[in-house]
Amino acid sequence: MDRPLTVFRRHEEQLYLGAAGLVIAVAALLPLLVLCGQLVSSTAPASGPAATLASARIWLLLARSLGVAAAVTALALGVGVPLGFIFARTDAPGRWVAFALHAFPMFLPPFLLALGWFHWFGRQGLLGSETSSRALFSAGGLIAILVATFTPIVTSLAALALSAIDPALEEAARVVARPWRVATHISLGAIRPALALAALIVFALSLSELGVPTFLRVDLYPSAVFARLGGVDYAPGEAVALVLPLLGLALILLVAERRFVGARSFAVLGARAAERFTIPLGRWRVVGALAGLLAAVVGLAPLGALIGRAGLGGFSSVPAWMGGSLWNSLAEASLAASIMTALGIVVGRALARRRRAAAPLDALAMLAFVMPASVLGVGILATWNRSATAAIYGSLAIVVIGWTARYLIVSTRTIAIAVAQSPLHLEEAAAAVGSPFGRRLRRIVMPLHRRGIAAAWLLAFVFCLRDLETVVLFYPAGREPLTVRIFTLEANGPPAAVAALAALQIAVVAGVVAGAGVAQLAARTGPR
Amino acid sequence: MSVEISLQDVSLRIGQSEVIRGLSLTVAPGEVLALLGPSGSGKTTLLRLILGFVPPEAGSIRLGPDLVSADGRILRPPEERNLGIVFQDLALWPHLDVHGNLAFGLDARRVPAAERDRRIAEMLARVSLAGTERRYPGELSGGERQRVAIARALVLAPRALLVDEPLSNLDATLRRQLLELFRALLKERGMTAIFVTHDVREAALLSDRIALLERGRIVQSGTWNELRQKPGPLLSALLADLAWDAPS
Repeated sequence: MDRPLTVFRRHEEQLYLGAAGLVIAVAALLPLLVLCGQLVSSTAPASGPAATLASARIWLLLARSLGVAAAVTALALGVGVPLGFIFARTDAPGRWVAFALHAFPMFLPPFLLALGWFHWFGRQGLLGSETSSRALFSAGGLIAILVATFTPIVTSLAALALSAIDPALEEAARVVARPWRVATHISLGAIRPALALAALIVFALSLSELGVPTFLRVDLYPSAVFARLGGVDYAPGEAVALVLPLLGLALILLVAERRFVGARSFAVLGARAAERFTIPLGRWRVVGALAGLLAAVVGLAPLGALIGRAGLGGFSSVPAWMGGSLWNSLAEASLAASIMTALGIVVGRALARRRRAAAPLDALAMLAFVMPASVLGVGILATWNRSATAAIYGSLAIVVIGWTARYLIVSTRTIAIAVAQSPLHLEEAAAAVGSPFGRRLRRIVMPLHRRGIAAAWLLAFVFCLRDLETVVLFYPAGREPLTVRIFTLEANGPPAAVAALAALQIAVVAGVVAGAGVAQLAARTGPR
Repeated sequence: MSVEISLQDVSLRIGQSEVIRGLSLTVAPGEVLALLGPSGSGKTTLLRLILGFVPPEAGSIRLGPDLVSADGRILRPPEERNLGIVFQDLALWPHLDVHGNLAFGLDARRVPAAERDRRIAEMLARVSLAGTERRYPGELSGGERQRVAIARALVLAPRALLVDEPLSNLDATLRRQLLELFRALLKERGMTAIFVTHDVREAALLSDRIALLERGRIVQSGTWNELRQKPGPLLSALLADLAWDAPS
């Protein structure tokens, strides 16, 4: 009678992982397979991939996109690492406030920041002139805006990693070397995996970015793909061909991630991570404070310009222009974040516990994140845009699938980091008293790591809220999220209304992040 | 060159708790002192005071004639004290190979490359680790990592060596081998050393003198033979915990 139950329980962990793997495969792998199938079957020489890719302009665009992504990555590292150091390890006054203000824009769609900078430096901007406008609408302007947008990712990862170093590693060096040498040779060396991860994320996001180059009219590769799916150059077959080089690029990025980051991104913190030493800046404290202030100003300036441009008139027109887009954003992002968190609990825990089956799922999720969003977007179109799946393609489910595929790695890795901090014995003790896997997951793993799980949900939610480049290729009519609404209105809508919608997006994200901060503070200070 | 370590009326409070309370202690040049005490007695904090990671709230610390910390101030930062340290968790830098771990301090002191490499090779040979220069800490066994940590501390020829329970997680055989290595290295260099432990056996085997620390104060000190003649309450408790026959 209880035999099937026994068999089920014996393989419960594998079954959970298998179910999670199935969902991930449908969301992330299936679009890639369908895409590859279409590429292989398009063999007609006149219209096939070879014909499309024979154009020199295509390769020039790709080279330019790679150049922009490389420049943004290098500059973001050059600015973000020293800032991370100032915020995490020095006694610069006001560093935590400056860090929060500097980091906030990374939770916003980059093209909103471009819009904000436009209100400063566009021809009719607050500080605008013909010259500043020309500089803004150029490759240099694009790089500058992307650096300002993505540097907080480097800063945050560097600061987090510096805060997590076992202080004994630095103390052992302090016995023989001055603080500056310890910082450059030991601290920075020890956080190399975090810096590699930051570089990879910034490179992948820069390469995928569609909104900012479109707004600044800088021709890049993602714009070429987008134009063939919804613009004047409509030619879906060519779009499929165009993603071929990006697929190869995504695989190279995945190999780089496995080589330089891999499991090291969720290494266990040192036991005395709270006792880290602070570098006294002495007379350089003013310089440290000014650097923090400048970083905060760069983060806030475009947001201030948007709010200023919106004015009362803009804000009063928000209900008319917004439609259902805000509710679409919130509903779709909540649902996608919940699914990603559920998958993250199973896969992230397995990853932290070095289960063999977790590695390919993690690799697939990483591939979906580092590949340019247009590849995933075109794959999802090719997979789901058919009569048999019209019910899915025409509903918010398609947005949820797209976001789950793209951002699953965020929740998986966040939960893996949390689980890796606790000893395996806690789960083994539950197993020893006969608790099956599912119950251990619910009664031990989830309560123990509730903060990590909440953080994973929140991060996934915010990543979905800020997304434009994935969803813009396949959002269902009438179900567009707020970012898409702003992007499509930006070309022809009244500037005050567009700025007000952008301010609304900023307010929503600020509310979510502030709420999470308050909850985290309450959890720390409240009864345990 | 070995140096005398001297602490005079040193006190330190962390938060509300007084971790070190009016402690005075002198370790003579070339002497090996075992600092013995239960967990939370302030042993590691005392090492951090001597190393210069925290200033004493009151009292003074001297290395030879140099006043290095006094009354809430660090007068000489850690890197200018020329002390060697072996941490409890070893603290080998995971991103540097064995050579890199040993070279870091020598480079910081601008030792010429040829001289640096010669000293590293000699030190590694001395701890039976020749040929491991290009291996990373993660690729070494537990015993090898312990020996790299010892070599890293000694390659700089420090004025004194501080050792913070580095053998606590090892099996009995490895612990005995490393104790013998420590003893040999300290004796051949005539080096002043403070060896922190909560294990009476280690203290008895390695040290010239033992100081018993309880709640931030030295409650008894002397050679092993002196202490075992007249064990105080703390030593009796530690021996009872061990249920162990003391060496004669």
